[in-house]
Amino acid sequence: MSTPRAGEGAAEMIDLANDAPEAIFDLFEQRGWGDGLPLVPPTSERVTLMLGGAEPDEILGVIPPRFGVATRRAVAINAVLAGCRPAWLPVLTTAVRALCRDEVNLAGVQATTHPVAPLVIVHGEAVDALGFNAGCGTFGPGTRANATVGRALRLVLLHVGGARPGCGDQSTQGQPSKYSFCIAENAAHSPWEAYHRSRGLDAPSAVTVACCENPHNFHDMESARADRILLKAASALASLGSNNACISQGEIFVALCPEHAATIAADGWSRADVQSFLYERARLPRRVFLEAFDRRRWAPWMQADASDDALLPMTEHADNYRVLVTGGPGKHSCVLPSWGMTRSCTLPLSP
Amino acid sequence: MLKIYSPEGLQGQQPLQLAPAPAALAGLRLAVLDNRKPNARLLLEQVAHGLAQRAGVCVAAVTAKANAAVACNPELLGQLREQADVILTGSAD
Repeated sequence: MSTPRAGEGAAEMIDLANDAPEAIFDLFEQRGWGDGLPLVPPTSERVTLMLGGAEPDEILGVIPPRFGVATRRAVAINAVLAGCRPAWLPVLTTAVRALCRDEVNLAGVQATTHPVAPLVIVHGEAVDALGFNAGCGTFGPGTRANATVGRALRLVLLHVGGARPGCGDQSTQGQPSKYSFCIAENAAHSPWEAYHRSRGLDAPSAVTVACCENPHNFHDMESARADRILLKAASALASLGSNNACISQGEIFVALCPEHAATIAADGWSRADVQSFLYERARLPRRVFLEAFDRRRWAPWMQADASDDALLPMTEHADNYRVLVTGGPGKHSCVLPSWGMTRSCTLPLSP
Repeated sequence: MLKIYSPEGLQGQQPLQLAPAPAALAGLRLAVLDNRKPNARLLLEQVAHGLAQRAGVCVAAVTAKANAAVACNPELLGQLREQADVILTGSAD
């Protein structure tokens, strides 16, 4: 351990035996840091390169439960650890800014027993310009930008935010997307306007963070009708197992593959039609909810007297369904249920 | 030997220190703050009644925060400071 040198702000420096992969792996393991995967040593030279001349001490947010200060430098250090290229740092810093907004309720997201993890979605010109994969396997491995930006955000949450499993992050089982969870919108193959523009952002590029469960796949290989495809989505959503069943304020992201989206749009359906259909069709009888839950955090109108057979929705209004297009060829789409007490946030990509 | 940055950054708030435990509970006012997890109130009330019987505390208030996923609002904490000497809280699923 040593005192920071001039130009290193208040960041702590640590002695590392050498640049071999095993050295930092062992050091981080001893200190309870890292995500269990190999890391790139964040030397002063690498971090300076990652920062690219940007102000290192700018505060992007404060991350609970440790209440660590996410300066641009602290985020850049974790970006180096994860294997990011410097060009991707603005995506990461925008995601950190978004996560620190009040509506996200990051303290709850970090600490809950639910497996919730922040999903990063990259929109607009940055997708192609920076090499993010919006096509085949966007949720999966194989593209460095998706993999390392998602991983770097998790490392920020672990290190700066102190969300270590069992101490800070109380998630009962965790979920694989706590390693890395970053996709890109496939606007080139979407029949609708880009997601961020549909949320009112007039920016060339944007980043969304949405705290949710792992993707739940649904497939339809044969339908040429919008309703038949979306009934599969509604079926996957109308489940007592997700928090949306007892917490009505939650959003639900619906990631349609390009082929499903094309079929739906060819039927004349807009994004709003998809939202309305899922709101109307992803429902369960009131008595089923009542039998399953003693405690229901529902909107007041959902608490009103109704017959036991009344069909109640999985979320309190249609706009809580957030629809975008991503992925490659094929007929698999997915839904991403929410933890419930969190809202997504979309911000323009900024340096 | 080379030097690398710590990945943690600085802490924005100093960790809170627990208030000193009272030397004796007899005669003190105890409040229960339910965090709204499903079994929290059941567990906390039983502990409170046990402390009343065994240690002589007076159960002065039983209340709950808005929901389990957000912090207790400052107004409620202020009320509890007025009403009680000791607050019993915690999580339960």
